[in-house]
Parts: sequence; structure tokens; C-alpha cells
Amino acid sequence: MQAVLERELVEQQWTKEQQEVDLCLDVTDLSIFYGPKQAVKNVSMPIKRHSITALIGPSGCGKSTFLRSINRMNDGIKGFKAEGNILYDDVNLLDANIDPVALRKEIGMVFQRPNPFPNSILKNLTLPLKEHGLKSKAKREEYAETYLKQVGLWDEVKDRLHESALSLSGGQQQRLCIARTLAIQPSVLLLDEPASALDPIATAKIEELLLKLKEKYTIVLVTHNLQQAARVADDTAFFYQGEIVEFTDTKTFFQSPKEKRSEDYISGRFG
Amino acid sequence: MQRRKLADKTATVVLTMFAAIIVIILTALLGYVLSLGIQQVNWDFLTSKSSSFRAGGGIQDQLFNSFYILLWTMIFTIPLGLAGGIYMAEYAKDNRITAFIRICIETLASLPSIVLGMFGLLIFVNATGMGYSILAGALTLTIFNLPIMIRTCENALRAVPLELKEGGLALGYTHWRTITRVLLPSAFPSILTGIILSCGLVFGEAAALLYSAGMTTPKLDFGNLNPFASDSPLNIMRPAETLSVHIWKVNSEGIIPDLRDVADGGAAVLVTVILIFNISARVFGSWLHKKLTAK
Repeated sequence: MQAVLERELVEQQWTKEQQEVDLCLDVTDLSIFYGPKQAVKNVSMPIKRHSITALIGPSGCGKSTFLRSINRMNDGIKGFKAEGNILYDDVNLLDANIDPVALRKEIGMVFQRPNPFPNSILKNLTLPLKEHGLKSKAKREEYAETYLKQVGLWDEVKDRLHESALSLSGGQQQRLCIARTLAIQPSVLLLDEPASALDPIATAKIEELLLKLKEKYTIVLVTHNLQQAARVADDTAFFYQGEIVEFTDTKTFFQSPKEKRSEDYISGRFG
Repeated sequence: MQRRKLADKTATVVLTMFAAIIVIILTALLGYVLSLGIQQVNWDFLTSKSSSFRAGGGIQDQLFNSFYILLWTMIFTIPLGLAGGIYMAEYAKDNRITAFIRICIETLASLPSIVLGMFGLLIFVNATGMGYSILAGALTLTIFNLPIMIRTCENALRAVPLELKEGGLALGYTHWRTITRVLLPSAFPSILTGIILSCGLVFGEAAALLYSAGMTTPKLDFGNLNPFASDSPLNIMRPAETLSVHIWKVNSEGIIPDLRDVADGGAAVLVTVILIFNISARVFGSWLHKKLTAK
């Protein structure tokens, strides 16, 4: 009895805290279906502005599906259906009137495998800018430099800007992809296991970069790497079989998880 | 263990043997055609007009006709094939209509070319009243070539990694811009290779042209570049006997005394041109691929 009361108290405090913080995305009662299969079940998640929120959980738990529905990348999948709300500036992103093309300029995404276009390093940045109507070539190249510097790639590539982006290493390619996403000036960054294909050094660079970027951007990060979540995330959500088992600040999650399943997962007993 | 190793070795030997057989057949065929024909081929043979009953005729007009019909065929085929391939790869929903379209394309691809030639005769030559002409021939060859082109483009687009496409979409490209800015450039080497390969196929085609482009060529004046003049080589409304049709005709109903020589020489030229197409498809394709992916 005592325990239940205490827990309620904690939960109340939690909700109170929530109301005070500045939310960037407020997901409520989100359910996602692929045909008859429900991939995400009634998930609610307040995502704070200028913070890193990590989504963890075993493969197939729905965390990537959840992430990809924020910028509507699942729209093209056959049988896909989403219910609930993803509020962003009081607008429901799942609304049929939302133009996914415009939305994706606002909410950028970086993928698991680095996916630079088979053009030069410079063009990987300037082409999307051109696409979004930046007419001046000099301006585009200036932007390219700015964002290559921001991801710490400029010094490595400044002498070979016209070489193919595919000649870069995996880690460099991934930072290029992040720069390319930043260049079109989103306010939210969605990252789908951005470092899982990279070696530890490249991974460390990406993590360092994410910590720097959260000053300006709201970051949602899907990761398989628990240490990574512990190192960079402010909040952590543990997904299991389409549900959120636990969502709390990262420190609490890793040091004193409330749920038995979270504890089991962290200590490697399943997943 | 022993048996598994033996099976592995046997498989290697047998498969290498089959590969060798294919190579032998090809080299024997090419060697035969080229060795017979090469001594007939000289500059004079390539640049003189064919003769109807005297010896010593060349293949100038036929060679030109082959390339000219090929050009027009590609002018029709490439945009149609690209459009069809883009539709099939990117827009067609996975439903019955698409399945039906696919069956149509496959059937079209397996139609014997002589049947297409007859279709060309009925529709382009007779029904539209344009008569035996380069245009009728090119349109017939377009139907002949279109299914291959659609499939080439579709496969090339589908082979582009999904991450690239999603990369484009995630950057706020529209579907159409993702196709033109991301998918098509990435698929371009394969598409180009496919186009050049099908050039070889079209260049050598005879049956589809017998009754569409016809088996005769008017007297051509290569100095006359007015495409509306009846003796201009550029006129697309004139009949045009291509090289492969010429070989067939000389062989089956020719009355020139040196018909064997002309046929052999023509065949050697034909095979050489097709070889050039095939080799350049490989070279060009891998060069482009390298250029796009590495330095």
C-alpha cells in the first residue's frame, strides 16, 4: 500500500514537472498499424525542446516505427495507419492536411546506414539547398561550409570538396549526412541508429556532435546501444512489444528503473 | 567430409566446363563469321552502293539505314521506356491492374519479331498509309524494343538502395524530385548500359523490318540533307533496307554473282558493330559507375 502511494506521488510530480518544461513534440495515445498488426500501442511521450530523447528496446519493439511516423516516413508503406496525436507547435502532425514534404524540412532525419548521394561532397549539401529554393550559388557554398564545420568535417574534406562523397569513410559519410540534414535548417533531428554501422571512434565523434547539437535542436535518437543512450540522452524511453515500458530521465532509468522489465533489459537478461 | 569436398570440386569442374562451352560456341561463331567476312570488308565495300545484278556492290546505304533507323527507334523508345519504367517502379500500386500491365509487357517481350513486323505492316504501313518507310520501321522496332527498355529502367530504379530514396524524401524532396534528383542519377549507369545493349539488338533485327521499313532503298543523294526530299538519306518517309535485311535478301533471293561475298562481308560488319555496342556498354557502364562511386 505504502509503495503504491509513493509511486503515485512520484508520478504526480513527474506530470507536474512535465507541464512546466518546454515541450517540442507531444505524442499522445499514438497507435500504429501495419495492416492487422499493431506495431505501436497507445504510446504517449512528451519530448522536451533542446534535449536528446533516446528510444531503446529490442529489435522489432516499434521504436523505429515510432520515430519514422514523426516525419511521416511510413506514409508510403502498404497498410500503414496511425492513430492518436503527435503535437508539434499545437499542430497534429498526423493530420491529413499536413504536407509531409514541408514537414520534413522542419523535422530532419538521419538513417542507420550513411546515405550520401552519389555526387561530390559539396553537392551533397548544395543540391538540397537548391531544392529548397536557395538561388545564389555563393550562398549555398557558404552554407555548406558552415554546416560542414558544425559537424566537424570541414577540415577533413575542405581540399576534396569535389570528390565523390562515397570516397569518404563511413563515419565521415554519416557526419556529411547530418550536415546535409542540418543545412536545410530543421528544428528537430530524428536519428535512427546513426552510429550502429560505425566503429567506436566514429561513434564517439557522432555522440560528441549530438551533445553539441542539442543546444540548437531537439533530438530523438533510436539506438541499440544502451551505453550510448546512457552517455548522451536526457530522457530515455524503453520500448517493448510496441508499448512504452518506462519513460523517464536517463539517469533514473539506468540507475533505478521502476519496472522489472527495464531492469532486466539493462542488465542484459533479455533483448 | 570427403564426400562433401568431392561434391564441391565436381560442382566447380562441371560449372567451369559449361562456362567454357558457352565461350567456345561464341568464339567459334564469331571466328567463323569474321574470318569469312573480313577479307570482303574494305573502305570501298563500306562506301559504295549495292548493286542489283553486277558483282562488286557495297553496303553504304544499308549501313546508313541501319544506323538511321536505330537513331529514330531510340528517339521513340528511350522516353517511352523511361516513362514506363518510372511508372512501374515508383507509381504502380501492387494490384491487379499492375499485374495485368506486367503480363502485357512480358507477352510483348516474347512475341516473335516477325509477328511484330506483320503488325507494323498492317498498322503503320497500311492503316496509316505511310507505306514502307523508316518511320514505320522505327515504330515497329520501338514496339519490339519497348518491353526490354521498360524492364531495364524499372530494374535499374529498383536496384537503387532504399536508403538513398528515403534520404531524398527525408530532405523534403517531393516524390517527383526524389525520382529526378536521386533515383535517376543513381540508376543512370545501369540504364545507359541497358540502352546500349538494346541498340545492338535493334541494329541486328531483320524480321520486324522486312515488311515495315521495306526491302528496298531509293537512290540516295548523300549531299541532299533536306529531310523532305525523296532522295535525301534523312527522309524518314522513304523505304530503307537495313544491313541485316540486306544480308537476308542477298542470301535468299540475290542474283548478283558475288552474293556469298557480299553476305559474308555484311555479316562481318553487322557482327562487329554489335560487338562494339556490347563492349562499349560494359566499358561505359563500369566507367560511369566508378566515376559516381569512387574518385
